[in-house]
Amino acid sequence: MPDWKAEVRDRLGDIGASPVRAEEIVEEMGDHLEDRYRERLAGGASEAEARRAVLEELEGPLLRDELRRAVPSAPPLPPVLGAPSAGRWMTGLWGDLRFGLRSLGKSPGLVAIALVTLALGIGTNAAIFSVVNAALLRPLPFAEPDRLVTFWGSAPEMGLPEFVYPDALYVYYRTRSRVLEDVSAYSTFTMTLTGAGEPERLSGAFVTADFFRLLGRMPREGRAFLPQEEAKDRNQVTVLSHGLWQRRFGGDPGIVGRSLTLDGSPFIVVGVMPPGFDFPNRSALWIPLGTDPQSLDCWCHPTLGRLRPGRSPEDARLEIARLSDDFWREREGKPVQDPDSPEAATAIVIAQPLARNLVGEVKTPLLVLLGAVGTVLLIACGNIANLLLARAAARGREIALRCCLGASPWRIVRQLLAESLILALAGAAVGLALAFWTVRALGGLAVERLNYLHEVSLDPTVLLFTLGITLLTVVLFGVAPALRGARVDLQEAVKDGARGTRGGRSRRLSDAFVVGQLALSLVLLVGAGLLLRSFRNLLEVDLGFRPENVLVGRVALPIEAFERKPAQAQVFFTQLEERVGALPGVLAVGLSSTAPFSDGGNGQVFMVKGREPAPGQPNLVAQIRIVSAGYFAAVGTPLVRGRLVDETDTVTAPLVALVDETLARRFWSDGNAVGQEIRLGDAASKNPWLTIVGVVRSVKHGRVTEDPERYVYVPSSQRSTPVMDVVARTRSDPAALTAAMRQEVRALDPTVPLYGVHTLEGAVARSLGTLRLTNHLLLAFAVTALLLAAVGIYGVMALGVSQRVNEFGIRLALGAAPRNVLRLVLGQGMRLVLLGTILGVAGAAGLTRFLGSLLFEVPPVDPLTFVAVVLVLAAVAFGACYLPARRATTTDPLVALRYE
Amino acid sequence: MVEQSVATTDLKKGSADLLILSLLEHRARHGYELSKLIESRSEGAMRFNVASLYPLLYRLEKRGFIQGRWVEKAGQRRRRFYRLTAEGKAALGARRRSFAAFVDAVRRIVEAEHA
Repeated sequence: MPDWKAEVRDRLGDIGASPVRAEEIVEEMGDHLEDRYRERLAGGASEAEARRAVLEELEGPLLRDELRRAVPSAPPLPPVLGAPSAGRWMTGLWGDLRFGLRSLGKSPGLVAIALVTLALGIGTNAAIFSVVNAALLRPLPFAEPDRLVTFWGSAPEMGLPEFVYPDALYVYYRTRSRVLEDVSAYSTFTMTLTGAGEPERLSGAFVTADFFRLLGRMPREGRAFLPQEEAKDRNQVTVLSHGLWQRRFGGDPGIVGRSLTLDGSPFIVVGVMPPGFDFPNRSALWIPLGTDPQSLDCWCHPTLGRLRPGRSPEDARLEIARLSDDFWREREGKPVQDPDSPEAATAIVIAQPLARNLVGEVKTPLLVLLGAVGTVLLIACGNIANLLLARAAARGREIALRCCLGASPWRIVRQLLAESLILALAGAAVGLALAFWTVRALGGLAVERLNYLHEVSLDPTVLLFTLGITLLTVVLFGVAPALRGARVDLQEAVKDGARGTRGGRSRRLSDAFVVGQLALSLVLLVGAGLLLRSFRNLLEVDLGFRPENVLVGRVALPIEAFERKPAQAQVFFTQLEERVGALPGVLAVGLSSTAPFSDGGNGQVFMVKGREPAPGQPNLVAQIRIVSAGYFAAVGTPLVRGRLVDETDTVTAPLVALVDETLARRFWSDGNAVGQEIRLGDAASKNPWLTIVGVVRSVKHGRVTEDPERYVYVPSSQRSTPVMDVVARTRSDPAALTAAMRQEVRALDPTVPLYGVHTLEGAVARSLGTLRLTNHLLLAFAVTALLLAAVGIYGVMALGVSQRVNEFGIRLALGAAPRNVLRLVLGQGMRLVLLGTILGVAGAAGLTRFLGSLLFEVPPVDPLTFVAVVLVLAAVAFGACYLPARRATTTDPLVALRYE
Repeated sequence: MVEQSVATTDLKKGSADLLILSLLEHRARHGYELSKLIESRSEGAMRFNVASLYPLLYRLEKRGFIQGRWVEKAGQRRRRFYRLTAEGKAALGARRRSFAAFVDAVRRIVEAEHA
C-alpha cells in the first residue's frame, strides 16, 4: 500500500495551518486516496494503474493556495510560560529543574527505585576507581617520577630469572652511564632497636648517599647522607622516617645528633624524612650502604636510576647491558666494545619504570574490576531508561498539550533531560556516600597487598570521574526516553481517554535495552565463573607442606655477636626449639633459615659431583635452607626417599644435605639422589662436599602458581645462621601460641625479639589475597548485574502484559486455553533471552581472553563455565518472565474487556 | 464533447456549494462518501477529485455552513463527518432558490427560442 499521507504531505507543504489541523487534513485526504486506490484495485486495475489514477486526484496547481485560503491559519504561538527569551537559557534551565523536581515528586516509587539503582551503580564505580587511581594513576611522590627506572639482570640458563647487582657493578654503571644521570642502590634489612623502650624489630634500607637526591625527596630535619659515609667504617649514621620519629621519639625536635642502638651498635641520627616517605618496602629508617667498588660478594642491591631528559627505559636497558659486558671484558683484560657498535650485548638486563615495578601484579585485576562495575552501571542505566520510557509514554498527553501550547520539541527534550539530570545527581550524591564507606574497607585491604601504595581516598580525580560518569548516565538513560517523549503522536495523545500506550518503536527500544542487559550480565557471569574455577584450582595445588595449624615467627640474633661466637647461636636455637616444643598444645616444632611463604630466601650456586658444568657452561642455582631435625615434621613436608636429618648429623659427623624432588629429577631420571654428593659454590669453591641422605617433596615458597625451584636443605647442627624461623605445629588455633612463644624467646635473651609472627595458613591465604578479593568482588558484581537484568526483563514483560490485557481477555473469552496465553507471553520473553544469550556468549568469548593472566589451569573459553552460566541466566530470566506471563493467564475476560 | 465539458466545469463551479450542502441536508457524511454519492447520482457526469473536494469542504466549514467532526466507529479507522449547521441550512435554502430561479430563467430563454 503506497503511503498516501506522505504523498499528500509532499504536495501540500506548509499551508499555514496549525500543526494539529495540518495533520488532520493530511489524514483526511490520505484516507480518501486510499479508499480510491482500493476501489480501483477492486475494479480490476493493476497496482500501477490504480496508483497513477489516484495520484491524478491530487493534481491541482492551486491546491495549496486554495487550502491556504480555505483553512484558518494558525494563530501566532503564545509564549510558553517560563520560556526563556534569547540569552536567558539559564533561567529556562532553572525552571526546567524546578518543574522536574515537582514532576518527579509525583512518582516517589519510580524515584526511589532509580535512586537506589543509580547509587549502587555510581557508588561502586567511584569506589573501584579510587583504588585504581591510587594504584595506577596517581604519580609517585617523587620528583619527576616518570624519569625513574629500576633495572636488574637475568640469567635463565643458570636458573636465575632475576638477579640484582653487587657493589662493583652498580658503581661501574654509576660512573659510566650516559643515559642515567644518577644511579643508586639499596638493600633492605631488619634490625632491632634497643635502648629506647621495648626492643623492636624495624624494617629499613641500606641506601647509597645519592638515594634521596635521586628520588627528589630530602630530609626535612637534618641532612641526607654524605658520599664519604658510604665507606664501611663511616656509615654508623641513620635517617629516620617521619612515622618512626613520631611514634618512638615523640617527634623530639632534638632528635638530630642523638644516638640509637641498632643490633647492638650505636648509630647517630643525622636526619628525619618528611611524612609519607617510606621507600623502599615501608622503611622506618635508612643507613648508608657501605660500598666497596671492588666487591662482587653480595649480589643483593636493587638499583634505581634517573633517566636524563629525553631518554627512555629501553635506552637504559641497552646501555646497562652493554656496560655489563664491558665490565667483564675489562676484568678479563679485553678491550671494551664500541658504544655505537650495532652488535647486541650478551648480558640480559630488564629495565622498568619504577611506577610500574611498584604496582606489580594488580593492574589486570583492577582493570577487570573497573570493567565489571562499568558494566553493572550500564545495566542499571538500561533499567532506568526503561522506567523513564514507560513514564514518557504515560505522560504523552501532558507533553502533547505542551506542544500545542507552543513548546518546541527541543524544549520538551530539555525538560525531560533536566529530570534525568536531577535523578542522576541525586543518585551520584547517595552513591558517593556509599563509595566513601566502601573505600574505607577496600582501601585498607588494597594498601596491605601493595608494597607501595598511597592512601586510597576520594580525591578530586575520583570526584571528577564520578561527575563524568554521572553525566554519562544521564545521556545513557535519559536521551532515548526524552527523544521518544518529544516525538509523541499529537492527535492520539490529546484524545479523551488516551491510554498512554506505547508505540512499536518504543517497545522495540525497551526490548533492545533488555537484550543488551542480558548480554552484559552474561559476560560478567562468565568472567566470575572462570575466576571461581581458577581459584578452586589454586586451592587444590599441592604446596609441598601442610599449612593448617602452623605458627611461624622469626628470631634474629645480633650479627656482631653471631660472628664472634657462631656456636652460641646453635646453642640458643637448640634451647629455643626444646622450650617451644615443650609448650602445651604444640605437636611438633622445627627451625628453618626461611619458612615457606615468609620474607627472604637464599639462592646459591651449587655443583653435583660427577655432573660439574664444563668451563663456559652456566652454573646452577638452588635455594638453600638451614633446617633443624624437627623442621619437616613441623611444616608437614613429606620425605620421598632416604631419611631426614636427625641427631646423628652432628658437627663432627659427615656433612649431609637433603634435596627436593625438583633438584633430584633434574640430575637423576629416577629421582634417586640418595648417596650422591653436592657442594655449595662454583668450581673454584673450597666448600666441602655434602652427601645427600634424603629427598623431600618440592615446596612452593612465595606463590601458589610458581614453578618449583631447586632446594638444598642443610642441617642446622652442621651449619649455623643468626636468623631462624621458628615453625610450630599446634593442636588447635596456632595464633593462641604467640604470646607463649614470645615469652620463651624473651626468657633466653630479653634483647632479642620474636617478630614477623604469623600463621602459615594466613600467609598462604594472603598470597592469594588479591585474587580472592577480585573473585569475590567480580562475583558480587556479576550477581548484581544478573538481578538488575532480571528486574529489567520482568519490568518490560509486566508492562507489556498490562497493556495487552484487552487482547488476553479476548483470547481467553474466545476459548484459548490459559497455557496458550502463557506460552505466547513466555515465548516473547524467552526470545529476548535467547537473543541476549547469543550476544552475551559472543561477547564473553571475545572478552574473557583479557582475564588470561588471572586464570590458573582454566582456558578463557571454558565450555563448562559457559554452559553453566547460560543455564543460570536462562533459569533466572525464565523466572522473571514467568510471573507476568502467569498473571496474563489469570486475566478475567470480563474485566479485561471493560478495561480501558 | 468540448462544449459539454466546459459547460460542466462552469456549472460545477457555480453549483458545487449547492451540491455539497444538499447532500448533507438530511445526514452527516464524510468526504469520500460525498464524492461517491455525487459520482453515482450524476451517473458519472460529475466527479469531484480530492484536490477540488476538500478545499471546498474546508471553505464551507470556514464560513460556518458545515461542521466537521472526527468519528471513530468500532473496527474502522476514524473519519471526519460533516453536517449542516443552522447557517448552512439557511444558505442551502437560499442557493436552492437562486439555482431554481436561474434554471427557470434559462429554460424560459431556451424554450422561447424553440417556440
